[in-house]
Amino acid sequence: MITFEEVTKEYPDGTVAVDALNLEVPAGKTVVLVGPSGCGKTTTLRMVNRLVEPTRGRILLDGQDIREQNPARLRRGIGYVIQQTGLFPHRTVEDNIATVPVLSGWARGKARDRARELIDLVGLDPALARRYPYQLSGGQQQRVGVARALAADPPVLLMDEPFSAVDPVVRASLQDELISLQNTLQKTVVLVTHDIEEAIKVGDLVALYRPHGTIAQFDTPERLLGDPVDDYVAGFVGFDRGIRRLSFFPSAGLELSPAPVLSADATVAKAQATGEPWILVADDSGPRGWIQATRLGDHPGGTSLGGLTAEGVGHTFRAGIDSLRAALDAAVLSPSGQAVAVDDEGRVVGVATFDELRAAIQAADAADTAGISGAGRAREAVPADNSKKRPQAATPESSGSESSGSESSGSGSSGTESEGSEPSGARP
Amino acid sequence: MMWSWIPQNWSQIWHLTWENLKLGVLPALYGLIISLPLGVVAARWRWIYPPVLTVVNVLYAIPSLALFIALIPAFGLTDTTVIIALTVFSLCIILPNVPPSVRQAATAMGYGTLRRLVTVELPLAIPVIIAGLRVSVVSNISLASLGQLIGVSSLGYLFIDGLQRDFPTEIYVGLFFVIVLALVCDLILVAIRRVLTPWQPRRQRRLERRLPLRRVTA
Repeated sequence: MITFEEVTKEYPDGTVAVDALNLEVPAGKTVVLVGPSGCGKTTTLRMVNRLVEPTRGRILLDGQDIREQNPARLRRGIGYVIQQTGLFPHRTVEDNIATVPVLSGWARGKARDRARELIDLVGLDPALARRYPYQLSGGQQQRVGVARALAADPPVLLMDEPFSAVDPVVRASLQDELISLQNTLQKTVVLVTHDIEEAIKVGDLVALYRPHGTIAQFDTPERLLGDPVDDYVAGFVGFDRGIRRLSFFPSAGLELSPAPVLSADATVAKAQATGEPWILVADDSGPRGWIQATRLGDHPGGTSLGGLTAEGVGHTFRAGIDSLRAALDAAVLSPSGQAVAVDDEGRVVGVATFDELRAAIQAADAADTAGISGAGRAREAVPADNSKKRPQAATPESSGSESSGSESSGSGSSGTESEGSEPSGARP
Repeated sequence: MMWSWIPQNWSQIWHLTWENLKLGVLPALYGLIISLPLGVVAARWRWIYPPVLTVVNVLYAIPSLALFIALIPAFGLTDTTVIIALTVFSLCIILPNVPPSVRQAATAMGYGTLRRLVTVELPLAIPVIIAGLRVSVVSNISLASLGQLIGVSSLGYLFIDGLQRDFPTEIYVGLFFVIVLALVCDLILVAIRRVLTPWQPRRQRRLERRLPLRRVTA
């Protein structure tokens, strides 16, 4: 746990970078510091490993004042990842990763073994171990940066705009990777970013800064989107925060109707008998398409639905796994205005109308406001279980990250340098 | 051109080349030994850099012959005089040019100042150091021939002797060996850099281009 007590950083020219900051970073959580440039978020981060010394106040690491420790020793216990990676150009990937273990006096062989473990952990190709940083793509370099920070297994990880310098596709895959690493490692992470989307995606808690070194709101991402304290926060989180907040609501509570779903060999007469305005034709492999009931009259009652032209489904969501945001998105894109829910194998389990969606959203919202953990993650600062199991949103980022191998092609590195292509988004 | 003169005087040519090599290489190394700590200090306390650079530039402006003559009262007509003078011309203040992000990362990982200097900053300065050495060694090899004017043997002997005896072959041979010596030394330095910096991208060696070419002082 990292505790800031009335911490102020004032520069000799009178600039106040951080102003009487009180902040608690719970152990095993990811806290994101977000705000406009010059708001003091990076200064806050650098005070933790004493790259910057506070003017007033104190910072405690697990209850101990960080000034009581030798800075070099303190830093070896705190992983540090920066935007420009800061990799040592003259050392190979494995030697870069082994830096802190070697500094801490490990035998070289043991440090190298550890480096190999980490190469695997962060999803890098083991063949890259002997390469030099200039031979890697931007995304690969950033993975090495993360591996290097984790090498000595520090309980605390500081990340300063770690993913800002890579393209959006790579960034999304690195963010996903961080979330999944965090699920297993449960480090105390402080991450600085100017990107509110990133903050909401990776943070258990988000500290939103005002321009001159104070925090406007320190809350869970759901609360930041659902209940901003003032116009500044509301403005910063963006105009579509209502819809983005749905990412935090699982679709499990959504009522699904199987009524309009028929197989391809069902007849037109049977379809008409359902009384539904739209019929979804589906088989074992998934949805085939929507047929509007008014068009059924053109065909004899005995015709099977498989022979008729159907309109595309657009987009499905996985019942209970994806968020209400994904369900709403599916409904918006559907010609019938109904969202098609599928199971893990892609088979249709039912459909949901806007009315049902609205009911589910209101129920989730009510549960969230009442403080009941109906929204997947507790809104109270420290949920007992550390898992960051979040319903998956149908955002462009998450769909992009599913295309594996996009990292090396997307990062624009030249042929030879990216030949050891990364198994990027491929990890579950 | 009298080709037969070459084999007849081979041992002398060889001896002069060797002397010339010493006068070219030793001052460059001494210059490096003096410049490197200055560079490290100047990189640490930036305000030191401008005055140091001014002093070094003023030293470059001294004609080499004048410097030889000025040193004679103290060191006589010896190698030492020439080596000291050329060492002055080999001073080349190198600021270890480490990207700020690398420095910061090193500090944040728990490097002490000295360890960071030795294991991070100096290795990264190798390309710039070698680039500086290349300029010094080549210009020293050519300047060393002037040492002959105060009686210190070098390939310059062949120029003076050839001129006095009106014997062009000797001058051509001297010129040829000075150039070959300079080229060989330069190639060796390039090879050393290649071996020491496998981490550098082959095509773009930006670090070196940042070093301005030094004017050769005559």
